[in-house]
Amino acid sequence: MATEPIAVAEVSVGDSAPSPSPSSQVVIETRNLSKVYRDFWGRKKVAALKSLDIEVRKGEIFGLLGPNGSGKSTTIKLILGLLFPTSGRVLVFDKDATETSKNERIGYLPEESYLYKFLTTDETLDFYGRLFDLSGAERKRRVDYLVNLVGLQNARHRQLREYSKGMTRRVGLAQALINDPDLILLDEPTTGLDPIGSREMKDLILNLRDQGKTVLLCSHQLADVQDVCDRVAILHQGELKELGRVSDLLKVQDVTEVHARGLTDAAKDEIAEVIRRHGGTVESIDNPTATMEDLFLNIVRESERRPGARRVGTAGDAGDKNSNSGAAN
Amino acid sequence: MTLQPEDFWSFAEWLFRPQAFFESAFLQGVVLVVLAILLGLLVGYVVSAVRYGPSEGFYAVARAVRDFVRFDLPGTSTRRTWALARLAFKEAIRRRVLVVVGMFVIGLLFAGWYLDPRSSDPARLYISFVLTATNYLILLLALFISTFSLPADIKSRTIYTIVTKPVRATEIVLGRMLGFVGVGTLMLVPMGIASYFFVTRGLRHDHEVVDIKDRGDGRFEGKTSYDQFHEHTLSIDQPADAKGEAVGITDMVRGHRHLVRQIEGKYYIGEPTGALRARVPSYGSLIFTDRAGEIKTAGIDVGNEKIRGGHGSAGVARLVGVAQGARRLEHGYMEGGTLGSAIFTFDNVTEERYRDEDGITMEMSLRAYRSIKGDIVSGLNGSITLRNPDNKQIESTPITFVVQEYEIAEEKLPREIEGTDGKETRKLSLFDDLVTDDGRLDVIIKCLDSEQYLGTSVSNVYLRPAETSFAWNLAKSYGSIWLQMVMVIAFGVMFSTFLSGPVAMVATFVCVLLGFAAEQIYDIRYYMDRGESMGGGPVESMVRLLRQDAMTTQLDVDSVANKVIKTVDSIAIYALDAIATSLPNLPKMVSTAEYAASGFDIFGSLLARHSVATLGYVIIAFVISYFFLKTREIAA
Repeated sequence: MATEPIAVAEVSVGDSAPSPSPSSQVVIETRNLSKVYRDFWGRKKVAALKSLDIEVRKGEIFGLLGPNGSGKSTTIKLILGLLFPTSGRVLVFDKDATETSKNERIGYLPEESYLYKFLTTDETLDFYGRLFDLSGAERKRRVDYLVNLVGLQNARHRQLREYSKGMTRRVGLAQALINDPDLILLDEPTTGLDPIGSREMKDLILNLRDQGKTVLLCSHQLADVQDVCDRVAILHQGELKELGRVSDLLKVQDVTEVHARGLTDAAKDEIAEVIRRHGGTVESIDNPTATMEDLFLNIVRESERRPGARRVGTAGDAGDKNSNSGAAN
Repeated sequence: MTLQPEDFWSFAEWLFRPQAFFESAFLQGVVLVVLAILLGLLVGYVVSAVRYGPSEGFYAVARAVRDFVRFDLPGTSTRRTWALARLAFKEAIRRRVLVVVGMFVIGLLFAGWYLDPRSSDPARLYISFVLTATNYLILLLALFISTFSLPADIKSRTIYTIVTKPVRATEIVLGRMLGFVGVGTLMLVPMGIASYFFVTRGLRHDHEVVDIKDRGDGRFEGKTSYDQFHEHTLSIDQPADAKGEAVGITDMVRGHRHLVRQIEGKYYIGEPTGALRARVPSYGSLIFTDRAGEIKTAGIDVGNEKIRGGHGSAGVARLVGVAQGARRLEHGYMEGGTLGSAIFTFDNVTEERYRDEDGITMEMSLRAYRSIKGDIVSGLNGSITLRNPDNKQIESTPITFVVQEYEIAEEKLPREIEGTDGKETRKLSLFDDLVTDDGRLDVIIKCLDSEQYLGTSVSNVYLRPAETSFAWNLAKSYGSIWLQMVMVIAFGVMFSTFLSGPVAMVATFVCVLLGFAAEQIYDIRYYMDRGESMGGGPVESMVRLLRQDAMTTQLDVDSVANKVIKTVDSIAIYALDAIATSLPNLPKMVSTAEYAASGFDIFGSLLARHSVATLGYVIIAFVISYFFLKTREIAA
């Protein structure tokens, strides 16, 4: 997939992001959305969300970011109609969030996969397919496709109670996509997944965006958000603190980053000299470090290609391989 | 088994009560639905007014109603409902509820040890046992599976993945109900089959002929062996030659007899017959005459007959006080040795219906009331006279009988009988002379012993045109259990849409319990309305308990306290009365088991009434569930 070679490109060339530019069509709109949790006697317990105004446009990946208890999950639940707003409104596809018919075009992956443990993967997906009133043939087609997509071909006839957390997560994702939704809501999509699963999940999200679908995800895994989101809203204590394009938010305006391969030390000195001549300050000239994720993924991929014990090499060795695989992509 | 007038109502009579529409089930149903709607709207408005303010609250309620009528009800999809029903079904099955069936079967295997083998009516014992056991087991199970499932889904949040699909609240409720009914049915069927075999096998037994004597006139009489705690005497009528086959019969012991065959000098005793029956009775109408021969609508009341009868289903009329008091009556008595009699008029007495060559079968279970000791060796004597209802001159000579109390005695009304047509005494033809052209026949029953009384109700004397199979009757009993199960499931699902599992279970249980306590509540209300001291309501009876006062004395407290106690009590009792009246009459449905146990065919109209009532309650429960689920914050 096109997203394989890490985040560097995204920051340096933010303006020419590979995503198709989001249209102006608004998929989710919250207006002055507030939610106050009350106890049994109607006394105010906590104001989970205060006057939230966001718009999610068609074809973008929108991230809700924030620490625990910041109102991310509340927002998603309000969008889904699982909670009713204390004041304000949520519109999804121009319909009120409490309307059932909006769900026809929505896929939702809950924070944990709340699935029926006594069903098998096939039964689970078939069941959710029926809830969308899909015909028998259509269900079979979708179930086969999704089982392959999430890589559960070998476990489709086992009850979910026997599954590991990651496998349950995959079934959860598959059920969220059973209706080929236009809007996908993902609550902490990468929790419980190993780095490979996490990577695949992120690839899948980007892939969905490339198919023109809208994705709203909430997470506190900052790296994930940074990797995939086009725009983010940062929530804290129920209030919107920041909203904008990831590239804009993260770009350090007065720092320039140049990536080059095969330079000698002399050449590096010369470049530093040029920068100084133009009045700039050289902060560092260094070899880039790969992320732990890349290192891990490369080792696993290598191992899949060549099973057996791996010769433990130096860090530079791994870095080399990393850049090689990056180039190959 | 004593039936009450309401048991004879046809389905249409029950529904509309032509003479007393106020007491009809239809009106009760309509009132219940209207009240449910009004109460629902009121509660809905109050809740949403608190949540959104008075005017916005009104719109919220209006929107909910509009959604229900315009979108959710018409938009309910069979495929989704079916998927949810299958899910509920699978859930219950994979949680191994079928183990209960296994437990039931194992219970049956050991039940034989505990059922009194010396019972005088083992068939009733066996049938009541299986029906009662199944009934309560199934209701308990229905209670558990229906109340815990939805709250468990909400708690484990699996419901999130359901309600975020285009699933309507109608489908969730309906799916659950259907799924659980499916589970219940799946359990009820094997339990019914096991019960059938338990009863038939349990009653089957054998005897041997141990002692037989030739009486010399071609009759053989003898005794069977003592098996299963009883023995029979037997007689074989035909003289048996060396090759031929003679057939005889034993006497009736413990509700059954055996056929006896003699083949080539050896005796064979057949299986017990007559124990498992399903009589199809044809009841008549009943009037009495007093000792002077004057027509009376009721017989003599020899004791507390009116109070024993209970209040019956007078519907809304009783609740609002239009129909007051105990309506029913058990037995009316006729005085012996006088002109006092009970006159039954039977309809539809035709040759096509009563094909038996020996005559019309009539069965009686009369009560005896003795004012003197009398002859203690034999029972009271009575007589049966047949009469033409249109021409009362035409009547038969009396057929005398000895009353067998607490048993059902069978009499044959012969096709040809001595009698008078008013002019001469001659042989009368039953169908030509005594039965009118439109098929009516009077049967007059008298008590022959003076100073003794015989009692009867409409249901104690009946013609028996036919019998259906016991298996079919048992199936109908199970049908009744099935309806009760559906009712409990509907209530369980309803409560589980807004209460947590255990609380929903208790709520459903209380509803069932209140149904069973309804008669007692009506009774307290009855005495309260009449101003009679009969223990009073909850507070008064507590005071009486603490003061150790008798139930029927005036409450001995000062007037203010009296007023307070009476007021609090009447509020409580009227409220309870209203609730009990609006709840399903489960005891009535449970009592259909009594028909099967007593060997009577369960009336089709009775099952139809129960079915319609069940359907009505299911619909109400469904609508209430919908609104609770729809207006509930699933994730809260």
